[in-house]
Amino acid sequence: MGSQFVLIVSASIFCIGATGFLIRKNPLVMFMSLELMLNAVNFLLIGYSHFLKSLDGQIFALVVMTVAAAEVVVGLGIILTIFRTRHELNVDEIDALKG
Amino acid sequence: MFYTWLILILPLLGFAGLSWFGDRIPKKLVGPVGCATVGGSFFFTLIALIHLLSMEPGERVGNVQTLYHWIQSGNFTLDLAILIDPLSVFMLLVITGVGFLIHVYSIGYMEKDPNIDTFFAYLNLFIFSMSVLVLAADFFFLIVGWAFVGLASYLLIGFWTEKTSAVFAARKAFVMNVIGDVGMVIAAFMIFENFGSITYMDVFAQAPEKFLANDDTMLLITLFLLVGAFAKSAQIPLHTWLPDAMEGPTPVSALIHAATMVTAGVYLVARCHVLYDLAPYTMMLVAAVGVITALFAGSMGMVQYDIKRVIAYSTMSQLGYMFLAVGIGVYSVGMFHLMTHAFFKALLFLGAGSVIHSMNDEQDIRKMGGLKESMPITYYTFLIGTLALCGFPLTAGYFSKEAIIMSSWYAEGSNPVFWALAIAGAGMTGFYAFRVFFYSFFGTCRTAEAHPHESPTIMTYPLLILAFFAIFAGFGAPLAHSFLAPVFGGVVPEHHTNGFLEIIAVGVALSGIIVAAIFYAEGGEAEGKSDGLKELLAPIHDVLFRKYYIDELYDVLIVQPVKKTGEFIWKTGEQKGIDFVVDEVGAQVKEMSRLLSIWQSGKVRIYALNMIAGTVFVLIFVVFL
Amino acid sequence: MEIVNDFVYQAAIIIIGLTAVCASLGVILCSSPIYSALYLIGNMVCLAMLYLLYHAEFIAAVQMIVYAGAVMILFLFIIALLGGKKELQENSLQRTIAFGFAGLLFGELLLAATVGATKPIEGIFDPINLKVIGGAKAIGLTLYSKHLIPFELASILLLVATIGVICLAKFPLKQIKKSLNS
Repeated sequence: MGSQFVLIVSASIFCIGATGFLIRKNPLVMFMSLELMLNAVNFLLIGYSHFLKSLDGQIFALVVMTVAAAEVVVGLGIILTIFRTRHELNVDEIDALKG
Repeated sequence: MFYTWLILILPLLGFAGLSWFGDRIPKKLVGPVGCATVGGSFFFTLIALIHLLSMEPGERVGNVQTLYHWIQSGNFTLDLAILIDPLSVFMLLVITGVGFLIHVYSIGYMEKDPNIDTFFAYLNLFIFSMSVLVLAADFFFLIVGWAFVGLASYLLIGFWTEKTSAVFAARKAFVMNVIGDVGMVIAAFMIFENFGSITYMDVFAQAPEKFLANDDTMLLITLFLLVGAFAKSAQIPLHTWLPDAMEGPTPVSALIHAATMVTAGVYLVARCHVLYDLAPYTMMLVAAVGVITALFAGSMGMVQYDIKRVIAYSTMSQLGYMFLAVGIGVYSVGMFHLMTHAFFKALLFLGAGSVIHSMNDEQDIRKMGGLKESMPITYYTFLIGTLALCGFPLTAGYFSKEAIIMSSWYAEGSNPVFWALAIAGAGMTGFYAFRVFFYSFFGTCRTAEAHPHESPTIMTYPLLILAFFAIFAGFGAPLAHSFLAPVFGGVVPEHHTNGFLEIIAVGVALSGIIVAAIFYAEGGEAEGKSDGLKELLAPIHDVLFRKYYIDELYDVLIVQPVKKTGEFIWKTGEQKGIDFVVDEVGAQVKEMSRLLSIWQSGKVRIYALNMIAGTVFVLIFVVFL
Repeated sequence: MEIVNDFVYQAAIIIIGLTAVCASLGVILCSSPIYSALYLIGNMVCLAMLYLLYHAEFIAAVQMIVYAGAVMILFLFIIALLGGKKELQENSLQRTIAFGFAGLLFGELLLAATVGATKPIEGIFDPINLKVIGGAKAIGLTLYSKHLIPFELASILLLVATIGVICLAKFPLKQIKKSLNS
């Protein structure tokens, strides 16, 4: 039961995060969805580190957190910059890279 | 002896520092920094010299300082290593010592140049490369150094990039040197094939056991090495680049094209003397080419009017003497002449630079004259350099050159023909050296608007120091021979004394000087009086003046055919063939990508959707199949 | 007593886990970003509690401080700065496809987790390790010995991120006019 529950919960949160990233237009909420996905993976790592009695999962989770923190800082900085230059917050309007 | 690495590292640091920060530090600081690194190298070279002298003669050879194993592949190993032995230290003394003086001189000479930082960076690069060349413990790093000095020479000849002729001269020098590099690389490959190693120690230890004298392989290896040596040292037939290389700044000519780099060929033959001893035929060729070059270059030098070109031809000619010496097997005599030559030739070039500097960059001796009064220090030092060049008794040049000429009579590998040609060359040397001297310093100034003046002290001090050595270095001959002896198998060359032969040699040289005095003592072409020699030599004057038409010959034989072929391939092969294909490929790719770029919507969410879809399909494969 | 304890423990895990899932649903379904952020905080707190239940005290603390604390505060600041406009939730083809694929992904993961038997759990059951696992000391020991290089790299990453954001924020920006023909 234990490990399966971890798998299911983390899969749910991950998929919810993915859905959120796909259906929302507000970049802030999209970022939150990304955080959800990262957290889902973290949860999986820590759950399994518990079941396997190994610390490596926790260390990995710690690294993921670091990456997530860095990503949030840079991402929010970029969002802010985009807002300062374009005065809009709809990702569908930001398509300067259209081929 | 690990500190010897500093000899290499200091100029490298100087090069790196000056190229990165050179334009950010004050211009006044650039020169001292460049000099300091070379001075440091000189200091450590002196320590190495004392260190070597403190050892037993037998222990002085084969001190390989390995930094680490660089390449290990099968049975091929290559270490990052340098070799400290009397020969390399001897060369380093010349390179860093004379190099240091020339660096100091450059501070004054290049003072007004806006790119002085680049200049000193290149000079440091040159010192580094030359040190790599002489310190190499194997043929690999020898070639690395060999190519690097070629690069430094290219950069410095073409230093004044706004001068078209300088750029062409740099290109010519580079191409000629690359011909030599190819020869060296082939030789290195052959050495590796035959010996299974490219370190000097292994190769020289194995060579006498593996090969008999005049073995085909040995002849080929030595000949290919010789291609490199001849190209670098401007011997016939690869000599045409050296006179043109005088387009560079004068300190460069002094450092690279007189004192150090061009002597690398002589060093190479001396370094590989074990191989050359096994190939007497090649040795014969070395000596023959050397003595012919000596004569040939001397004859061309007699009629040139560009002060630096005349000195360049005399450099070629003196290099010929060195090759003659190593070719007849008296290596340390050749090396000693290399050293004294470095002193007096650097002195002559720096003196010429001083003259050019004060004449506002005028290099034509016909427009000079009468500089005796206005530039006394330059006058006397130039006189000393000229006397040393001619081998005037008791100057440094006398000791080293007389030794070569005497050896060419007595040595085993020689014959009287070499001796006679060498004597003739000495006569020519006396003539052209003093021709330049009289032209520039005697008579009256032939350019009205010029105001010649003595150069600043920072330029005259190096002249004085070099003049000192140009006079007294000759007395160090026995010391130098015994110092170098361990490298050359413990052989100290015999000192031949034969009053009659000596008198002939000195007499011929003096007669050259006297002839020059007869023609030019008035200071060359006075007003309305044409060049006396020109009329005397009328039939062959043009041939000499146009350098035996060798440039033209190479142009017709090599340059033009290559150019025509290249043009043909360019016009038909490239423009109609390759260009068409390339253009079509480009056009088609463009068309295809226009269609594909529909996918590229620029919307982040659609990209993410694609990603998730991809994940879904990948997961199907990973999990369920 | 043991059984009761275990039951309470399992029940707590299940309840908190389900709350976390619900909170994450809240994140993506709320139209207003501020509510999304609040739900995200809830989700993170739930996860932190789960970590505690799984004896990962140190990570739980870090989760609370870094995520629920620092990162979320950052989010709230940005929302405050940019204005938390409500977002129009309209149905579109893109949205339908997105739901489809996300559902598929979830189904697959679920299948992988339940149908295919998960491997029996193996591990090194070191009695000394068991007692200290999850504590700050144990993590510190592992982090500074076995995983030192990833740790240092992570610190460099953070430094780079900091510098990047400073650069983004520092220099004045030019207004970009959206070109019409592209």
